[in-house]
Amino acid sequence: MPNRIITWIDQRFPLTSFVKHELTDYPTPRNLSYWWNFGFLAGFILVLQVATGIFLAMHYKADVTLSFDSIQHIMRNVNYGWLLRYMHAVGASAFFFVIFTHMARTLYYGSYRAPRELLWWTGQGLLLLLMATAFMGYLLPWGQMSFWGATVITNLFRATPFIGDQVVIWLRGDFTVGDATLTRFFSLHYLFPFLIIGAVVIHLVALHSVKSSNPSGINLADKDNIPFHPYFTIKDLYGLGIFLIIYSVFVFFIPDTLIEPANNIPANPMRTPNHIVPEWYFLPFYAILRSVPNMLGGVLAMGLSVMIFAFMPFLDRSRIPGGARFRPIYKIQFYLFMLDMLVLGYVGYVQPTEHTMVIGQVATLCYFGSFFLIPFVSKAEERWLIKRGLPAEITALIKKEFLEKKARKAKALQKKWGIS
Amino acid sequence: MRLASTVLFLCFFSAHVWANETKLDTVKVETDLATIERGAGVLMNTCHSCHTLKYIKYRDLISFGMDKQKVDEWRGEESLDSPLLAQMLKDDAIASFGTAPPDLSLMVKARDGGADYVYSYLLGYYLNADGELGNHFYPPTKMPDILNSSTITAGAELTEIQNQARDIVSFLSWVADPHAQERIRLGYYVIAYLVVLTALLYLLKKQIWSKLK
Repeated sequence: MPNRIITWIDQRFPLTSFVKHELTDYPTPRNLSYWWNFGFLAGFILVLQVATGIFLAMHYKADVTLSFDSIQHIMRNVNYGWLLRYMHAVGASAFFFVIFTHMARTLYYGSYRAPRELLWWTGQGLLLLLMATAFMGYLLPWGQMSFWGATVITNLFRATPFIGDQVVIWLRGDFTVGDATLTRFFSLHYLFPFLIIGAVVIHLVALHSVKSSNPSGINLADKDNIPFHPYFTIKDLYGLGIFLIIYSVFVFFIPDTLIEPANNIPANPMRTPNHIVPEWYFLPFYAILRSVPNMLGGVLAMGLSVMIFAFMPFLDRSRIPGGARFRPIYKIQFYLFMLDMLVLGYVGYVQPTEHTMVIGQVATLCYFGSFFLIPFVSKAEERWLIKRGLPAEITALIKKEFLEKKARKAKALQKKWGIS
Repeated sequence: MRLASTVLFLCFFSAHVWANETKLDTVKVETDLATIERGAGVLMNTCHSCHTLKYIKYRDLISFGMDKQKVDEWRGEESLDSPLLAQMLKDDAIASFGTAPPDLSLMVKARDGGADYVYSYLLGYYLNADGELGNHFYPPTKMPDILNSSTITAGAELTEIQNQARDIVSFLSWVADPHAQERIRLGYYVIAYLVVLTALLYLLKKQIWSKLK
């Protein structure tokens, strides 16, 4: 009976072939490390955020006089409301942690290279959507940091030439962040996750067209690819288990660590907090914003600092496969960049002083400088590596890839001309 | 490399700039009924005339296990389902203190330092050379020195007010997060379950991957 149903469906909809093509037969490089688990984890958190968010929205009130109280209502009176809210709040941080790791892996292994540029760019679009969603969601509890964070960030659009003031009013729906801002942010915070789901589908279509990259940096031969199911379904589930343990430690034992104390004070437009800080995942970009003395310059620098990753396929001119794995200079650059991110995060967190201004400016220069240097350094490094002699491991890999390609071409020609 | 080391050096160098903040006293927040009930008693007698606890109802105190008679005493004519609003009207408070006393429901979550901050603040009063009252931890405070910490500086009396401050803070911690104990209890089960599940998934993963040559 089930078979007959599936046959019935298959005659009308490509169910079996879809599952086969995208899951049970989908070829995946067998040498993927656990760094390749993070895409699946991001997808899982997206579902978790949507699920908890839908239930939170049933009890939340988007109204400046009610928002703060409705959060407390969720925390105290709604059955397991505290669990929903903490899962959602910790989930936001977990999302960024996983996405940043996912991006760091792409940068380390050079996964952005041809033919995966569009995969990388759709991911970049996803990052922007995620940032917008998180930013709007942060306004909803209507605490002091919610209000002042939204005030500072919407105010940045004042830097728009000629129509700055109008743009800010248009975004807020009012002269200041108020009820109009809160209701539109709530509406958009509910909409954007579904745009993200759409963008994830595009991201996956791109992925399944070019297939996963792998630590070796070259396209593997057929025999080194294994079906996604069961090998990677189980590997992803095991990774998910580890993730959920860490996530649960935050949700159940230290859920308030990532919530600024000031956000437990209701928003008060008459009283500016001593120190306005964004959520931790925006800190490096916030530090770049503050490091540029000119407002328009700061806004542009902050925008560029997020978008600049998109240029990586053009900036990295080395043809050595395997990303940082076989490239000592790039590896050093990668780790210095990570260190620079941490320094920027620190600068973004603390009260600005003369010292931290200097540190922030130096770190901002290092941030953009490292991207600026990549085209020259990567080419020089490639020349140096070839001159020095590539390790036998990569030479073998490149040779194998070359032969495979040749064999495939020959096969295609044979097929075209009908030679067997 | 040199740039990076300069940045690191500056980071460490600038760290001491913030080291001279007033140091908070640490307090061990108790979670047992007796302490929390004692804290509620102190708070109802000393703080509640001015401060509200608007997210808590009298009924919540009873369902937590507090003595019904005591709760009835505290609430007077108020209904069991009314929130713990202050006896003093907001306008009167503004008239006498110049500012509205803040609601205390989330106080231990709403300040950097949390429970330690509230504890230190309660005990942080002093008299300056001119005999004027001040507070080390929140200089602009308008609140009177309810525990007399400015005059009691040693002996059994000091221990007594320290205990009272700890009781108040323990009660306020419960008020700020009444589900905390339930959350932690549930957390142990969830994590134990996940550890077992993950171990099984790991074994299954090993078994499945062992089929590969």
